Amino acid sequence: MNITAKELNTIQACRYCPMCRQSCPSEFINYKESDTPRGRAMLLYSVYKGGKPFEASTVEAMYNCFLCGACKSWCEGQELGGYDIPELVKFARRDIVDQGLAPQIVQDIRNSLLVHDNTQALDKSHAFTATVEEKRADVLYLLGEGVDYRYPEIARAFVQILQTAGVDHTLLKSEPNSGKELDLLGYRDDAKEKASALINRIQATGCRTVVVSDPLVYDAFKNDYEQWGITLEAEVLHVSEYLLRLIQGGKLRLKPVDFTVTLADSEFLGRFNGLYEIPRAVIQSFNPVQFVEMQWHHGYMQSTGEAAFTFDDKAFGRGKDLGEKISTKAEEAGAEIIVVLSVTAKQHISATTSLKVVDIVEFVNEHIDIF
Amino acid sequence: MNIAKTSYMFDMLLFELRDIVGKEYVSVRDSDKEVYSVDYFWLPEMCHDRQDRSNITRPMADFIVHPANAEDVSKILKIANNYKIPVTAWGGGSGSQGGALPVFGGIILDTKRMDTIYKIDEQSMTVEVGTGIIHQTLEWELEQKGFSTMHDPGSARCATVGGFIAHRGTGVLSTKYGKIEDMIVNMEIVLPTGEIIRTLPVPKTACGPDLNQIFIGAEGTMGIVTKVTLTIHRLPETRAFRAFVFKDLETGLRVGQRLVSENLQPSVIRLYSENETKEVIKKVLGIEKTGAYMVYGFDGKKDMVDLQMKYAQEIADSEGGEDLGAHPGEQWWNNRYKFFFPPYMYRLPQCFGTLDTVASYSDIQNVYNAMKDVVEKQYPMARFIGHFSHWFPWGAMLYGRFIIDTPPEDPHEAIYLHNSIWNDALRAAMAAGGVLNEHHGIGLKLSRLTPELYGEAFQLLKNVKTTLDPNGIMNPGKLGFGIG
Repeated sequence: MNITAKELNTIQACRYCPMCRQSCPSEFINYKESDTPRGRAMLLYSVYKGGKPFEASTVEAMYNCFLCGACKSWCEGQELGGYDIPELVKFARRDIVDQGLAPQIVQDIRNSLLVHDNTQALDKSHAFTATVEEKRADVLYLLGEGVDYRYPEIARAFVQILQTAGVDHTLLKSEPNSGKELDLLGYRDDAKEKASALINRIQATGCRTVVVSDPLVYDAFKNDYEQWGITLEAEVLHVSEYLLRLIQGGKLRLKPVDFTVTLADSEFLGRFNGLYEIPRAVIQSFNPVQFVEMQWHHGYMQSTGEAAFTFDDKAFGRGKDLGEKISTKAEEAGAEIIVVLSVTAKQHISATTSLKVVDIVEFVNEHIDIF
Repeated sequence: MNIAKTSYMFDMLLFELRDIVGKEYVSVRDSDKEVYSVDYFWLPEMCHDRQDRSNITRPMADFIVHPANAEDVSKILKIANNYKIPVTAWGGGSGSQGGALPVFGGIILDTKRMDTIYKIDEQSMTVEVGTGIIHQTLEWELEQKGFSTMHDPGSARCATVGGFIAHRGTGVLSTKYGKIEDMIVNMEIVLPTGEIIRTLPVPKTACGPDLNQIFIGAEGTMGIVTKVTLTIHRLPETRAFRAFVFKDLETGLRVGQRLVSENLQPSVIRLYSENETKEVIKKVLGIEKTGAYMVYGFDGKKDMVDLQMKYAQEIADSEGGEDLGAHPGEQWWNNRYKFFFPPYMYRLPQCFGTLDTVASYSDIQNVYNAMKDVVEKQYPMARFIGHFSHWFPWGAMLYGRFIIDTPPEDPHEAIYLHNSIWNDALRAAMAAGGVLNEHHGIGLKLSRLTPELYGEAFQLLKNVKTTLDPNGIMNPGKLGFGIG
């Protein structure tokens, strides 16, 4: 693909600049210079300006990026320069795919998404939504792959909350994929097809509000679909936004929380969508609750690996290494409960700590008074 | 050495290295070799940049190895000696002198796995740490407990502690807290032949020469420092800053010297030349003033800081400084790293270099004038700016810089021009009482000038080097030592 001015701007600024290296989680898992923003930009300069082919090791460096945006948060020239390593890496991945150079594991995930609507070739009958009854309703709850296949208890908790609050809601039977993962892997055309199919299913429900659990899916709605020419005539909220609406609307009665609670920010909700305060407002709606911040929070959060495709440490990254950094900070902060905003965060963090790690939906559900 | 990948000796060496650190911690990937061939030195950056329009190449390592501890380093160095393979240590890759470049191939020894914080001793006010830790990571851990090393250079976010030791780094608080070598209590070092030694537990002894000094600033030519105990300080109750503009550099230098000699103990003094005030301060901080811009700062107990600020202001006022107030000073402190990020930092296609030097107060103005004259008169295509940011009881550091916006397109001509400016400017500085460098080190960039700086004494350094590293495997081509 021809490099655009936007990507070239990032390459030229970042290729020899080491200033954000302390923020990059992939470097501190792999310890390789090629797994830094500087390293990736330098390698891509050689491809796009030096005319080198994508070597296997360069391809690997692109897929080792967690696309977490930490480098953008820590770049003091970003505001003026607009440098965007995650977008650059996604551009490179699309080019790698176009050239037929995607690693086998990436091709396998793509095939799984196309056939099974999930990344791990799980049979659709294993999904929470495989047996739900789909109907027309005001509110559609969109689970995302992680909740649908691996953490159905979160779905059950949210459905219980919706029932408690008397919300007219529905779920999509055998929920289709959003296309977000395909786009992150470099398959934009496939992603667009998936996205269009999902939108058609959503519109068939007649819903006016879509409540999304997965930060990746939320980001697709907020930042990708419009760019792809796909529109949805409904408001899209993250579950934390909807929970706050229910709480502030008096639909949920809250019990006191007798624990010290911290929040693990989500990179796709926070860094890419500015959703920092609402999850905190949900937690702090409980009265009393002892809320503590970890050393790193908001834009300077430690990455949870939402786009790392870790799969229990079998694919690109070691998710537990990311989780351990967060759980260590939570313990230092004196937290007893870590509230998370994605199942990836839950999986990575809970594997490394004896602290209780709960999704924000589970947290609320555990602490509401049933009317 | 550049062993052909097709040679069975390549596999034999690779096997030996993997046997030490594990398969995943030895890389022979082309992508890794490429990124380890460029540090923060203009030369490899320029060569990498021009790969699409010239055939100039960059030396590459044969193996990139990530040891976990001194024992791993020891085994690697023994193998390197057996086969006479060059070994070049790599920390954060943020050095501006080419000190970490594998210019004769061989092994890149990436230290970043040695990043453990072993002990924070709150009674002795020290921290023991692996030298591969990124300095900012160490600072964040210390800050949580209310401490800091007070070593705060522009590269804090990307350089390793070992990198600072290798080239005698200096931070912005050096005027009060000293350079990195002033903060070292003791070190663990792997000698070139593989022995692991520990220097004396404390540095202020009367037990003979201080062995630390052989390895501090040696840029990995005398051995690899794997652990260090550093002094730490309590975070200050307050920091206060104030900015002034003086009519000229000479006045500013006098103010800086008085702030030090009148024992006010400033933590920060930064004085920018008229040119740099116009070019850099305006660009980064948005402050547009004619003259020499100065920021000074104090830290500690509030009552004491208030008093120090009062006396400092009296000095600045007495020299006719225009008081810009506290805000521009605080603005500088809050943006002190911003200077080094794109788009604020100089970058290709520009040709640039930081001619930092240090001299006594009697000589420093002459050193500045000499360098400026050489650059501006002999090289009309270049401009010269400078600031003074580290102040000692006896003198100050000049952070001079030359910038050429449109260097020659031919890389060989560009290198010749670059090196000529360096040679002429630094020879002028040395003639006026300066030295080659204050805190960036020598590396490849200034290696050729090191024997000239030391004169007859250089043979002594060579003798030490030969004794410690008989096969000449440690970072060849740097610090004037050549190869072998």
